[in-house]
Amino acid sequence: MSAWEKLTALPREIVLGLVLIAMIIPTLKPLGLPLMVGTMAKDWYDTVDALPEGSIVLFDIGYGAGGYPSLGPATIACFHQFFEKNLKVIIMATSIEGSMMYPLIMEAVNPETRYGAVYGEDYAFIGYIAGAQTAMAGVLGDLHAIASVDYTGTPINQIPLLKDVKGSDDYDLVAYITTAGGTSEGWVYQAYSAYGKDTVGGFLSMMTTSMKPYYDTGQLLGVIDGIKGAADMEFLTKHPGDAIRSSDVLSFSQTLVVIFIIIGNISYFGAKAAKKEEG
Amino acid sequence: MVSSDIAVWIAAFYTIAATSYVFRDNIIFKFSENTFIGVAAGHYIVMGVKNVRDYGWAHIMKGEMIYGIVFILGVMMYFRFHREYYWLYRYPIAFMVGNGVGISIRAAIHSDFIVNVAATAGPLTAATGIDTLNNILIFVGCVTALSHFIFTYEGMHKGALGWAPKIGRWFMLLSFGASFGNTVMTRFGMYQGRILFLLRDWLGVVT
Repeated sequence: MSAWEKLTALPREIVLGLVLIAMIIPTLKPLGLPLMVGTMAKDWYDTVDALPEGSIVLFDIGYGAGGYPSLGPATIACFHQFFEKNLKVIIMATSIEGSMMYPLIMEAVNPETRYGAVYGEDYAFIGYIAGAQTAMAGVLGDLHAIASVDYTGTPINQIPLLKDVKGSDDYDLVAYITTAGGTSEGWVYQAYSAYGKDTVGGFLSMMTTSMKPYYDTGQLLGVIDGIKGAADMEFLTKHPGDAIRSSDVLSFSQTLVVIFIIIGNISYFGAKAAKKEEG
Repeated sequence: MVSSDIAVWIAAFYTIAATSYVFRDNIIFKFSENTFIGVAAGHYIVMGVKNVRDYGWAHIMKGEMIYGIVFILGVMMYFRFHREYYWLYRYPIAFMVGNGVGISIRAAIHSDFIVNVAATAGPLTAATGIDTLNNILIFVGCVTALSHFIFTYEGMHKGALGWAPKIGRWFMLLSFGASFGNTVMTRFGMYQGRILFLLRDWLGVVT
């Protein structure tokens, strides 16, 4: 095996070990690299900012434990903005693990102590609703027909925020953050196309290329794209958290990936040229 | 300061155990994988029962007997395990497929087709030069990428028109590259969250 071929077949333990080091160093010693706020997250922020006080936001937690490190910071930043603006938030989960993420988010936001928000009056959680787009259509069409109780088992007609909310006409904004492609497109189909609601969406960065056309065509008024979008939202809401901290690390570790790609290409063409010379 | 919370230690152990897959499939990774499957299955069962109780049974208890039909359809799903009456499970499946398609297709045509085509077919000129360039790129990329999938006319891929599918292929490769870059960022972002957890919540070496 030539030196070029050895370089091409670099053991994955070495590659991932270097990536791990590239993540740990900036975590221990933040580099303070500048953060350029993207227009997609700015549009999300501006859309929420333009809502009058008391507006009702329907928010979907569409991810579980696997998506939390990437999308949890974005959700926390969003809720800070909702409560700071005195918006009413109806929270649901289209992911079965979403109901486990809800307490984590609320623990970080702490709406009662920090903003004086009251459960049932300023926000309520109706839990996981099965059925993906069927659930979305149900919540937008007739909330009381699909959900009779909230997550704690209290009948929703006894919850001040929910008792008068019937369906899409009562929501001023539909917002979601999800790891699922079907959920992400589903909200555009149901909230924007079927009911004409203002909609903003957050999802993993890897979904951005397929979801961006909805933003470009105005079907999504704002977008949070993974940890980068989360860092933007933390910056905009002035609640710096894990995402801003991660952006330094990501810049550092992604640079390493670019270096690996360059080494991979050089070694590939080097090995090819060496073979040609031999034979 | 290292955490004294047992839950944090458990989470730290499973984070490291899952990462140990880097050193090939091993017993610690398998243990963490099986534990996750067990916990997830348990959670799914609990949520399933909760859903039936909160969103089905609660309605029936209020006298809304129409929800009884959904229960019957749900029970029919289990007939797939019955040798003689297995065909009964096809009815709830047919209902679910029909319902799902009906709900999504009405809006999908509007969102995915009409709005996107209208936006692509809009004026190429825009307020700024960069927006005009973007519009031109989107238009050219869309038309040439579509031409790549025209297989019924041989002349599309050979001869005078052969350049269009080639350009389309380049646009698609650019898109795949962007997707790859975003995927790497997503995975790193996810793992970075766990690194932060290990260093901050578990070991306490960062604040």
